[in-house]
Parts: sequence; C-alpha cells; structure tokens
Amino acid sequence: MNTADCHTQLADRCERLGAQILAADPADREGLVGPGTDLEALLTDAADAPRPVRDLLARMLDTLQALYEQRLPDSASALAALATAAIAAATALRDPAECDATPNALTVAADALQEADGATATDGPDAAAPATASPVQGSIEAPLPPDRPGDSANTGETPMPPPAEAPSPTALPATFLIPPETDPDMLHEFAVECLDHIRSAEASLLELESDPNLPEPINVVFRAFHTIKGTSGFLGLEILQHLAHLAENLLDRAREGKIHIRGGYADLALESCDSLRTMIESLRTAAPGTAAPIPPATAGLLDRLRDPEAAGVSEDADVEPLRVGDILVAQGAADRATVEAAAQSAGRKRIGEALVDDRAAAPADVARALRTQNRQGAPAGDATIRVATDRLDSLINMVGELVIAQSMVAQDPDVSGGGRPRLQRNVAHAGKIIRALQDLTMSLRMVPLKATFQKMARLVRDLARNTGKSVTLVTEGEDTEIDRNMVEALNDPLIHMMRNALDHGVESAADRTAAGKDPTGTVRLRAYHSAGNVVLVLQDDGKGLDRDRILAKAVDRGLVEPGRDLPDSEIFALIFHPGFSTAETVTDLSGRGVGMDVVKRGIESLRGRVEVDSRKGRGTTFTIRLPLTMAITDGMLVRVGEQRYLLPTVSIERSFQPQPEAISTVKGRGEMVLVRGELLPLFRLHRLFTVPAAVTDPCQGLLVLIEGEGKRCALMVDELLGQQQVVVKSLGATIGQVRGVSGGAILGDGRVGLILDPAGLLALVDASEPHTHRPAA
Amino acid sequence: MVEQATQHVTDATRASAGKYLTFVLGQEQYGLVILTVREIIGLMDITAVPRVPEFIKGVINLRGKVIPVVDLRLKFGLPEAQHTEQTCIIVVAVRDVEMGVIVDAVSEVRDIAAKDIEDAPSFGSAVDTDFILGMGKSAGKVTILLDIARVLTNGELGEVEQLASAAA
Repeated sequence: MNTADCHTQLADRCERLGAQILAADPADREGLVGPGTDLEALLTDAADAPRPVRDLLARMLDTLQALYEQRLPDSASALAALATAAIAAATALRDPAECDATPNALTVAADALQEADGATATDGPDAAAPATASPVQGSIEAPLPPDRPGDSANTGETPMPPPAEAPSPTALPATFLIPPETDPDMLHEFAVECLDHIRSAEASLLELESDPNLPEPINVVFRAFHTIKGTSGFLGLEILQHLAHLAENLLDRAREGKIHIRGGYADLALESCDSLRTMIESLRTAAPGTAAPIPPATAGLLDRLRDPEAAGVSEDADVEPLRVGDILVAQGAADRATVEAAAQSAGRKRIGEALVDDRAAAPADVARALRTQNRQGAPAGDATIRVATDRLDSLINMVGELVIAQSMVAQDPDVSGGGRPRLQRNVAHAGKIIRALQDLTMSLRMVPLKATFQKMARLVRDLARNTGKSVTLVTEGEDTEIDRNMVEALNDPLIHMMRNALDHGVESAADRTAAGKDPTGTVRLRAYHSAGNVVLVLQDDGKGLDRDRILAKAVDRGLVEPGRDLPDSEIFALIFHPGFSTAETVTDLSGRGVGMDVVKRGIESLRGRVEVDSRKGRGTTFTIRLPLTMAITDGMLVRVGEQRYLLPTVSIERSFQPQPEAISTVKGRGEMVLVRGELLPLFRLHRLFTVPAAVTDPCQGLLVLIEGEGKRCALMVDELLGQQQVVVKSLGATIGQVRGVSGGAILGDGRVGLILDPAGLLALVDASEPHTHRPAA
Repeated sequence: MVEQATQHVTDATRASAGKYLTFVLGQEQYGLVILTVREIIGLMDITAVPRVPEFIKGVINLRGKVIPVVDLRLKFGLPEAQHTEQTCIIVVAVRDVEMGVIVDAVSEVRDIAAKDIEDAPSFGSAVDTDFILGMGKSAGKVTILLDIARVLTNGELGEVEQLASAAA
C-alpha cells in the first residue's frame, strides 16, 4: 500500500472520529471512551504522517483525556474544538500537497484545543469546576468537591468523629425569578415535560430499591435529571439547573458503579425529585417575570448532594457501619479513652492513622480492625436473583421433556439390545446427569416454610394476648421447603387451625392448673418431608375434642344413624363436615368447628389431606399432608380400553375386584356395589367417556373406590398400571374445562395422559343420571 | 340483521397480500397467513379427550406443552379420511395459544399478490363464509384463505347461541 492510499485511509478515520466526537454527549463520559481508543490507534498508525498532523492528533488526545477526567470547564466547546481539529487533520492528510498550505488550519485547531484545555493548566486537577453546567449565579454557586475518598470501595475507614468543620449550609433565597422574557407556553410545556421525567425517575428509583444494580433504571433517572438540567438552563432557571446538575452527578457516580442507589443515596435522589417537582409544579401556573418559591429544604438538599458522604449519606440508611475505633476497643487493642482522645486530636486525619501515630495501637491491630470493618460493610453479594416464574416453568417443562427423550434413547433396541455396552454405559451416564438436573430444576421453585412459621408466631402472640391465655409456640423444621405457590395457599388454612387451637383447644391458665397441667399451654408446629410429601403437624396440649358431643351433634343433624357407634377417627373426621361449621355449633361443641370444612377444602385444593387425632384432656393433633408442589401430582395410572388416565392417589381409597353377587342394579338408578356393608354407586369409566374396546364385565375389570368433596363411588376401569408422579398441565383454552378431567400430563412414553378429577366425575355422574333415557351418543 | 350482513362483507375483505402456507383438504386448497403458523409436525399419537366436540381430536405433547388438536376435515364437515404419510399437523398460534390442525397434506409457502385476492363469495345463509379471509388465485387454482382464529375459536358458534337466546 502506498503512502497516499495510507493517508487517505487515515483521513477517513479522522473524519469518522470527528463525526463521533460531534455526536458525543458532553455529560456522558463513557461516550468518550470510543473516540479515545480510536484516536490512540490513529496516532499509532499515523507514524509516517506529516509532523504537524501528528502533533495535532497528540494534542487532541490530551484534550480528550482531560475531558474524560472532567478537568475542563467547558466540555461542550472542548468537544467542538476536537471535532474541528479532527476535520483539519483529515483535510491535511487527504491532500499532502495541501499539507504545507494548511498548517494554518492545523495551528488554528491546535490553538482552539489549547484554549479549551486552558483552565487545566492554571487550576490544576484539584480545582473543581462545575463540569458541564454553565456557571450559576450568586449564592447557589458552590464548587464541586474533588474526588471523594469514599467513592472507592477499598477505603473502608470512617472518620471517628463527624468532621468538625462541616460545611455551613448554603444560604438560599426563598424564591427564584422566572426570566421575564420567557415564553409562557414554552414554560408550561417545560413544566409538563419535566414532571413526566420526574415521574419516570421516581418509578425507576423505586425499582432500584429492590435491585440497585439494574443499569436501565439508573439511566432513566440520569436522563431525567440531565434533561431537566439542560432545559432549565436554556430557560435561565438557575436553581433548577443547579439542583438537577448535582442530582445528575450523583447518578453519574452510580452509573460508574462507585455507589449504589439505595439507602441514603436513594433517599437523596428521591428528595431531589420532590424538590424539583415542587418548584416545577409552581412554574405551570406562574407568569414569566414573577418569582416562584424555593422549598425551604432545598438548601440542605443541595449541600448534601454536593458531598453526600460528608453529610453522612451512605448506601445503608439503617445500619451504621461499625467504626474502626469501636472495633479496636472491642478487640481489646486499645481502650476507649485513648481512642476518644485520638479521635479528638485526629481532626480529618483517619482514626487508624491517628492511633498508630500516637502509638496508641499497633499497626497490625488497626489493619485487622479495618479488615473487620470492610467485611462488615461489604454487600452480602448477590446470593439470589429474581427470575420470572414462567421462565422457571418452561425450564421445568424442557427438562421434563429431556428426561422423556433420554428414556426413549435408553429404551431404543439399538441401545438396550446389549450389543453395545459402551453406548449403553454412556447413555446411562447421561441419564443420571439428566435426573440430577431434573431434581435441581424442581428445587428452584421451592421456598422454606420459615416465613409462614414466623407469621404463625406472630398470630399466636396476638391471639394469646387477646384471649388472656398463656401459650408458647414451638416450631420445628422451618427450613422444610415447599412450592412457592403452595406457601401462599397454605396460609389461610393454617391461620384457621391456629386460631381454633388457641380459642378452643388451649384452656385458660386457671383451668389448666385445675386439671394439673402446666398453666402455660404449648402449641407445636412441625414440618418435615416424608415420602415425597410435606407433612405439617399442628399439635396443642389443650382439652381435646369431645367425642361424645360430636357424635351427639352428628346424630342430631342426621349425619350418623342413632345408636350407631363409630371409631374415634371417623367421629373426629366429622368436624370437617360442612354442617359442623356454623357458629352456634362451635359454641355448643367443645370447640373445633369454625370453618374446619373450609380448612379441609383449602388443603384438598392443594391436593393434600388433613387428619385429626385427639385425646380428651391431652390435646388435639392435626396432620396435614401436602405434595411438594402443586405442579406435580401423585397419580395412579389406569387403563380403560386403549386409553390411559391418571387418578390422583389422594382420592383413591382402595381398589378391588368385586364378586358378581356384590353388584346390583337398581332400576332407574344405575348400578350399585356392596363394599364392606356399604352400598356405593358404581360407574363405568368407559361409559362415561365413551371409550371403545373396554372391559364391560365389572368382575373382569377393577373397581376403584374414589372420594371427592365428601362423596364416594366405585369407578370401573380395566386395570391399574402403576403409580406415577406427573407434571400437571392445562389442556388449553380451546378445550377449556372438561368435566371430570382436571388436566393433562406427559407420561413416560411422551404421550399425553388425562388426569381425572374425582369431584368432577361425581358431579358428571349426578348430572347425567336424569338423562339415562337419552339415546347413547 | 342488515347491519350484521354489511359487517360480514367488510370482514370478508380483510385478506392482504403476502405469504401464505397452503395445504390440501379433500379436493380443495387452503391457505393460512404464514405468521400464524408456528411449525409443521408429523402425525403423532393423539390422546382423545372425552366429552368435547367431535372435531377436537384430542391433545398432543409438543415438547412438554399439551396442545389441543383439531381435525379440519371434521370441522368443515368433510368425511374423516384415512391418515397417510402426507397427513400432518400444522401448529398455529391463535392469540398466543398454540393449537394443532390436522390437514391432508401441506403444499408450499406461496406469495399471493393483492390483485390475485378476491372477496369470499357469498352463498347466502346456507354456507357460512365468515372464517374465509378471501380467495387467492394463482396458476388457475383457487386457494381459500382462512382466518384460522375464527375457525378455531368457535366465534360463529357463539354468535349462533346469542341469536338463539335473543330469539327465545
């Protein structure tokens, strides 16, 4: 490549650079990184370019660097000078002949750069100047502090005493003048636009509260302040411009990751929004040339924004970081008096240094104390991230599919045939990994019961206070995990039962003493995993259920035939009957009745079951068994003809093959089957669902005793195929609710099996009963 | 009723030029707006769902999702045909809900220009043409452009029910 071509290429790059610089936002430092890198590369590649061009490029790099470090008073004009210089360099490069003729253009550009950098040379890097805002008038002008030591995370030391020479609050006038020449329409438009920005900034700030690391909300807030700063500067509203500028600086630090917008910083940003809003609201109706009020809190706010750390603002608004002095005292490395004295004399010097200087503490001790402080101050780290539940669900779906696909590979005759042991071994290995993956994905939805237990502790405390009883709650297994959706659904039943236990179970202290028991009652809440279920046990040591009275009540209500005695378990189960939930029953009975049917229904809707056991005078125990997750159901796979269905295991009582004499046909009421002295309706699933090629003789098939919403019946199927855990899926909106079917599930072979809904089936049977005369479909 | 009739006319002219997936059903060729089509899969085992209209053949497992499958032949009142190698399921998305449609054979994706699209013909009240977007002509053949959302969501069924209850 010859020199001319090379130069033309360089010229192109210079022009592109000029365009980039022109497009750059003076307030956006990161936007300067790209041009900076390009310029450096350009300088390297321009080794054989004419000397004046090289000098100019080097000059530009200096200015860009200064701009990036925010050392320049007027970044906008510096950018303009840079762009001009880039174009001048390009022109000079493009036409080497003209290079000699254009030193003027190059010199002018270099001078402009020199001028733009001017302030740097004289003021030095420490002198701070408002980086982007045009100078603000009068009392609200204040220099920006130099780089704050607190910005970098590694300076963990907090000065022991608050700085004695705290900057005195800036005096602010009570009002600010709206420039008389402002166009009223423009002012109104400005106010409306700014209020919009503030609204979105506030929303984003609240979003940041939950996760201060989200980049987009920070940018939204930054842009809001930036725009307000720009437009209010244009309109000559200096106080707004100044406030927005300082707020923007705060957000800029957050963008650079030096601080996180939470705790005190979030408060500060929100306060800025409030202050800006109050002032801008008043602009909506104000006329140009009049004065608008400045909220009294603004002066303090400006001071805190100027140097948040000096004003004691930190990310953690609630917890004060431990001070080094305190840590040293706690570690026994120094006594309090020495530390206090050192703190007094230290002034702005760091307390650790002061102590070492005074020989009051060994450097090693101070270093250790600093490490302690850093450890304590360090954020706990992102131990958790938020993920949308539908993403988790689709992950679980996909993994479920993977398991099926893997088992199809493993069962392929080519693999399992035995001829290829190595392939077989590898497939088995992949299978192991996939099953581990499945367990892991399933666990993603699990949360511990801790929060629920804590709620119960609070409830017991309040209830005990209200009823004047003395009760201790003992919890166990609060780390037991359960599906997130179920935790919420579990709350109501638990609250119900807990209230019952305290209202009606545990006696008053006097009664307990009279009965020879500890005056303080104990309620135990335990949770543990057992055979793929979560078991919750709620146990009180109160007076227990009154078996005879429940039975009497049941006979009274016609639930039990008079004179018939039942085993305890069946009597206690009566309390879950809807009829027992009325208010007067509760007071009549020795307790337990308030909404126990509601409790039972709530738990059954979670595909769980609840049992009760009680001993008079000793207390009552409720045992709740829940599946680990709602998404998974324990089902019994049954076959009818060529179709397979899943019956939820919880609703199956037993299955049996009937003797011919046990089955009787009741005219007009269908078939009945005698099961252990009880006459139950018999329904044939193949008839209900019109399944062809099914077994039609009940004695050849199998009867499954199912129970749903308090009703029982025998369901005839061809055979049981075995138990299976499946993921419940909806059949989709097109099909909608099919009576008797609660959803679908993917079976082991990849086909869809329908999950039967016993309650729905029983309702279906009831509904179709009167229509038996209708011709069969 | 007059208003409703005009409504039908405006509805029927909604077909726009663009790409259509064409398929065969009986003697006719039909087209679906390509954007409604998610994928085409071979016929697989379909689990029958009891107590649903006959044209809903059941549900299938589409990579972990349970989606319903509709036999378009039955939906359109054609006799059920023996499934062949050509028979396949077009998975369509209607308002973000996926659904399978059994067709005799899938032909091709065809660009149909606006000038080749005509309004659905009116057969009077005897034939419901509500779910037809228009008729596409190309190479001497006519493709019936379907509004699959209307075909599958029983919109016309709901209307019939409404009319019946209004008359009662």
